[in-house]
Amino acid sequence: MRGLHVYVLLAAAVPLLAYAHLLNSYWMHVAIIAMFYGILTASWSLLAGYVGLFSLGHMAFASVGGYTSALLVNWYGVPIPLGMAAGVALCCAVGGLIGWVCLRMTGPYLAIFTLGFSEIVRITFSTEDQVTAGMAGLHTAPLFLTGSRLPYFYTAFGLLVFSLAVMGAVVHSRWGLFFRAVREDEQAAAASGVAVARFRILAFAIASGFAGLAGGFYAHYIGILTPSLGSLDLMAVVVVMTVIGGMERIPTAVGGAFGVEVLQEFLRAYGQWRLVLFGVILLLTMRFARNGLLTPVWLQFVRLGEVRGARPAPRSVGQEGSRI
Amino acid sequence: MDYLYTQAANGAVIGVIYALIAAGVTIIFSILKIVNFAHGDLYMVGGYCAYYIIRLLGLPPLPALLASMASVFALGIVLERLLLTPLYSERTERKDEYGLIVTFGLAFLLRNLALILFGPFPLKPPSFWSGLHRFGNIIITNDRIFAGAAGLVLLAVLLYFMNRTIWGQALDAVSQSRDAAAIVGINPRRFNTLAFGVGAALAAGAGALIAPIFSLAPDMGVSSNIQAYVIVILGGMGSVLGSIIGGIALGETEGLFTAYFPDPTRALAYTNAFGVLVLMVVLIFRPTGLFGRRHLRME
Repeated sequence: MRGLHVYVLLAAAVPLLAYAHLLNSYWMHVAIIAMFYGILTASWSLLAGYVGLFSLGHMAFASVGGYTSALLVNWYGVPIPLGMAAGVALCCAVGGLIGWVCLRMTGPYLAIFTLGFSEIVRITFSTEDQVTAGMAGLHTAPLFLTGSRLPYFYTAFGLLVFSLAVMGAVVHSRWGLFFRAVREDEQAAAASGVAVARFRILAFAIASGFAGLAGGFYAHYIGILTPSLGSLDLMAVVVVMTVIGGMERIPTAVGGAFGVEVLQEFLRAYGQWRLVLFGVILLLTMRFARNGLLTPVWLQFVRLGEVRGARPAPRSVGQEGSRI
Repeated sequence: MDYLYTQAANGAVIGVIYALIAAGVTIIFSILKIVNFAHGDLYMVGGYCAYYIIRLLGLPPLPALLASMASVFALGIVLERLLLTPLYSERTERKDEYGLIVTFGLAFLLRNLALILFGPFPLKPPSFWSGLHRFGNIIITNDRIFAGAAGLVLLAVLLYFMNRTIWGQALDAVSQSRDAAAIVGINPRRFNTLAFGVGAALAAGAGALIAPIFSLAPDMGVSSNIQAYVIVILGGMGSVLGSIIGGIALGETEGLFTAYFPDPTRALAYTNAFGVLVLMVVLIFRPTGLFGRRHLRME
């Protein structure tokens, strides 16, 4: 049965959603933040793992999305969902623009360029404090007026599922194949008829849009927004989560986000040492298990649906591309 | 006007420090073919090293500077041996991605480790040379004079090492062609290690020199990392002389930009943004930098 793993995941989600109200407020918060990171790592893995565009500006897009939505709501009284949509649209546009501008850059140059972009965004947000309230923090309108976190939990879950469905559909389609082709060898891809420029821009626009979505949700969930949302430290956390989980597949990247976030809460007693530990795990992962720690587990899981003892399907590029 | 001259003098000193950091980035790039995203954090480690050598071992500042450079040189060698050897293996795919993630992760690790070991509060080691000098109406602290002079000496030694000694020549040979260097009997692996160590030591020297002027903080490497990239992109990836000139030019520009910016409360914040903006514009129009040496492009 093909796609069994998707049904298993959906079936596992049902009791989780039905009994979500039994979680206490603290763990619900952890789950919401994990899902927020899940959207970010999934979209970053689309960019860095699929297309090979190692952008360090991903959190800058999250903060652009957050501030856009928060300011629109504060100034013009726009309904919050509309504000978030505006943030996403702006992030898509700016992301596409950044993607277009750095078409000629590869590897480290692209990383430096996007690092520069994220620093400029952060510096501007923290310096123009008449508009953004700077480091003091911008108060944002809450998405729900109840004191309970349950609606936020369902919203975050909905947004995560929506993001995964859209990005999953993209990487399952021919586009996903083109993305991977661009990553492996741009010239060979171009020679085979892939419009490299278009797909690089597209990948940037899609990934930035989802980063903006995550940022917008975060802004209206936390209630206060500071420029440090776009800081290099948070970017490093996203990189750590994605690489530890496995940056070449979206589900493993999301798994990395959940794993790191939950581990971070379990090890709360160790304070700052947790980040050091995650740094060490990242380096060990890169050194000895570059595909990520969750990738073997995921591949095993995906094989659940395959008939036991059947002849394994030929490993063509199309097959590879069709697995997320 | 005097303020302007003072700013220019300060800019020159900061420029020398920038040049030290950027020269390290360039050397590592030209030999290992990676951009070291942890360079600013090695600079931070160098500063703290000098601080603790002075505080705990009681060495005078100048030997402490050298001791700090030596210990970060050793640290650089260990890190290179532990983490970067897959870069030279034929079996490693997408080496630039590997180098990027590993050095980025290393930066994250060093920064958080420093936060635990050294604490979040700024620390200031004793001056190399206390007091200040007055040239006409220009006032400049002796620490800045010392940092500028010592930085220039280090840069001169570096240029001598790179151009006049056999090891420097061998480094240049490896940067031009790994295979050709191996044919004439240079072991490229050894020079990979040496290059990373030298780059780390230069960063440490810069950190130790800057420590008495500004204070030490665990996140001091973040902005200097970006400044080093600005310089290296401007001065050309792989050119030591280019990064020295670029460093001093950036220090000067930043000093004068701060002085001329119409809104003094924001001048300091936008100074950094200005350098980054220059970097982005250069990258858009010349993706390999202004004076990049052709053979040093990333493959």
